[in-house]
Amino acid sequence: MRYLQRVGRRSLPGRQARLATAAILVATALAACGGGDGDGGGGAEAASGAKAPATIPELTDDPLTLSFIWFEWPPAQALEDFANAEYTKERPNVTIEVNTVPNANWHDAMFTQFAARQTDFDIPILDSQHIGEAVTNGNILDLTDFVDENIEVDAYPPYLLAAYGQYPQAETGQRDEDASLYGLPLLGDTWTMIYRKDLIGDEPPKTWDEMIDAARTCQDENPGVSGLAFHQANGSDAAAVTYNTVNGVYGGNLWNAEDKTIEGVINDEAGQKAMDVLVNEMKPLTAKGSGNWFIDEVNAAVAQGKACIAFQWIAAAGGLVDPAQSTLGTTEDEILDKLGFATLPTQEADVVPLGGMGMHVSAYAPADRQAEALNFMKWFEQEDIQKKWAAAGGVPARTDALESPEFLEAGPFNQVYADSVSRMRDMWNVPEYARLIDIENTNVNAALNGAKDPEEALDDIAEQQQQVLDSSGGGL
Amino acid sequence: MTTTTDHPVQEASAASPPAPGRSPRLTDRRLALVFISPAMLLLLTMSVFPLLWALYLSFTDYSATRDAPADFVGFENYTTILTSPEVWQRALTTLVYVTGAVALQTVLGFGIAYLISRRTRGRGVLTTLFLVPMMLSPVVVGLFWKFMLDAQFGVINSMLGSLGFGQVEWLTRQRTALFSLIVVDTWQWTPFIMLIALAGLTAVPKYLYEAASIDRASEWFRFRHITLPMVWPLLLIAVMFRAIEAFRLFDLVYILTSGGPGVSTETLSFHVYKVAFLGFNTGLASAYGILMVLVVIVLAQLYLRYLNKLKEG
Repeated sequence: MRYLQRVGRRSLPGRQARLATAAILVATALAACGGGDGDGGGGAEAASGAKAPATIPELTDDPLTLSFIWFEWPPAQALEDFANAEYTKERPNVTIEVNTVPNANWHDAMFTQFAARQTDFDIPILDSQHIGEAVTNGNILDLTDFVDENIEVDAYPPYLLAAYGQYPQAETGQRDEDASLYGLPLLGDTWTMIYRKDLIGDEPPKTWDEMIDAARTCQDENPGVSGLAFHQANGSDAAAVTYNTVNGVYGGNLWNAEDKTIEGVINDEAGQKAMDVLVNEMKPLTAKGSGNWFIDEVNAAVAQGKACIAFQWIAAAGGLVDPAQSTLGTTEDEILDKLGFATLPTQEADVVPLGGMGMHVSAYAPADRQAEALNFMKWFEQEDIQKKWAAAGGVPARTDALESPEFLEAGPFNQVYADSVSRMRDMWNVPEYARLIDIENTNVNAALNGAKDPEEALDDIAEQQQQVLDSSGGGL
Repeated sequence: MTTTTDHPVQEASAASPPAPGRSPRLTDRRLALVFISPAMLLLLTMSVFPLLWALYLSFTDYSATRDAPADFVGFENYTTILTSPEVWQRALTTLVYVTGAVALQTVLGFGIAYLISRRTRGRGVLTTLFLVPMMLSPVVVGLFWKFMLDAQFGVINSMLGSLGFGQVEWLTRQRTALFSLIVVDTWQWTPFIMLIALAGLTAVPKYLYEAASIDRASEWFRFRHITLPMVWPLLLIAVMFRAIEAFRLFDLVYILTSGGPGVSTETLSFHVYKVAFLGFNTGLASAYGILMVLVVIVLAQLYLRYLNKLKEG
């Protein structure tokens, strides 16, 4: 009987089921095809590059949570604490939430949501190099009119304002006042040289060559302590920033921005010299197995007294003077007797890497939260708030805040930042950034870990990056 | 008697009354449809539709982030992938990884299962303990192995140091990095092979061994002519499952090496991820994914045919 019943199912209900299946597939396909146009507030306009209004729209008095997205590191918690303590004095109905993801997922976490035209954050904190990708795809609001109306642009070093918001990218050290702005500075940053005063002396090396000599001598004289510690990992932008820094110091360039040329620029004589110094002179002075080190590992090596000289982002260096995290002393003063912070040595050129991030407004956030985001930015960029942000551990961008005692006395490395502002150089902020940085990271990492000849690695970087630019991001 | 009619089923169905208390319109057939429709709907929306959609995208130059319509490019994406030396390099890495990991897991898994099957006391506890790694998330496994394999601070090098060996750069050298991935995957997934092998070993009829004992067969003879032939088909199925899993390895690579040093531990899955989410070349990544599915399907079919032949033989 069971067999007979099964045969009987082939009639009408079977056909119905097949029809229903086909209908569902068609409906789902149509839904997916139309999904790209769905708007979440400003979404529909955003696709063609939505503009923020010059004046802030009326704000809601209803409870509202303003969400940021950043990666997991100390400044993220500092921002949330600071904003909830200070901004709520002005806007008691607003709660600030800084959501974080691991650094390696930061780009993906933001851009996969952008791709879906729907974001669970209102203020994405983008790396300066992400701006091109976000602007080209209409993911963030154009803030030009808003900035003109609400922000004292003359209060900033021009390049800092440009680096965290301008697109097309500004020339190094300058700002194009006619260009559009898509973001405002949130946290400035650059590399600091951390050196062991008790091992190499109070005076930091002045040139890159002197720095290498000092590290070598220190390593030879102190068994168990490596001469250098720096970022070498092939995740995020770790190894690439290291090479770019050495490249800049030895007078090299990453590209010719005007005609979008990389081949023959990054791998010119200065570039080859930089790669040679990095792989053949600096790498031998690092700890064995440090080929995958990034921020945390370099901090651990310094805090445990395992490195004579290290290079680190200033915003990530706070824990180094915390006695709870260090073996170099039981008080901050004891640690500072042994650790010194200095600007990067120079060589052929006087260049330091630009780090830090800017605030932007998601084009897909609801209108009330976009308005609140603009209000937050206006509030955050005021002189007194920037000074308070500096005192709370942040790195401000306004000149008055950078020169204020609130900032300069807040950390032993803040003077380093203030002295480095005029020397900063950024990478490319083109839409193809993610692929360019991956090419550079993997090749520099390969050269540092003996998987590729340094010269071959640099030539491969030049060739592959040029292909990416020429194909506007297409291909493998 | 209904079986003798021309349309017995329909009649049988129509004749069977609904259960007491049930609506007369809700026949057994409709009830069955109601029950399977949620699962079918889930399958269609979560598996079938994405696969078909990816197939469509694979013939376009679509990018999920760019605000431009998808243009049909024919087989261009497939040609790009199949002629790319980068892809073949990742395929070779994946092949080495799959072969190494699955071979090691099979030998170890079967060996452990064989030893456990010979014990009568504590077999349950031992089996449970061996299964623990398999129950952990690969991301968690990757993270704690990353600490253990750290050249400077890791416990593995610390142990090697206490035995008089030098430091090994497990995750930052070309050869050791891939080997480390194989070791970690083996640590986690050997229990899977062990479990299946143990099921096969337990099912071998005792009387075969008793007959062999009467004939004074050696231990090796029993293993070679009784144990192995009986367990072999089951073991091969386990190998197939593991090979498919290993072929699409992503999480351990992401956590342990990020594909490094350079790209020397980049597997195909990791490369697809980069194409899809760093360049957002969605069409190309879809073609890449479809090709991977095809490879798995073709290899699995060949393997299953071999298994069927083995069964028939």
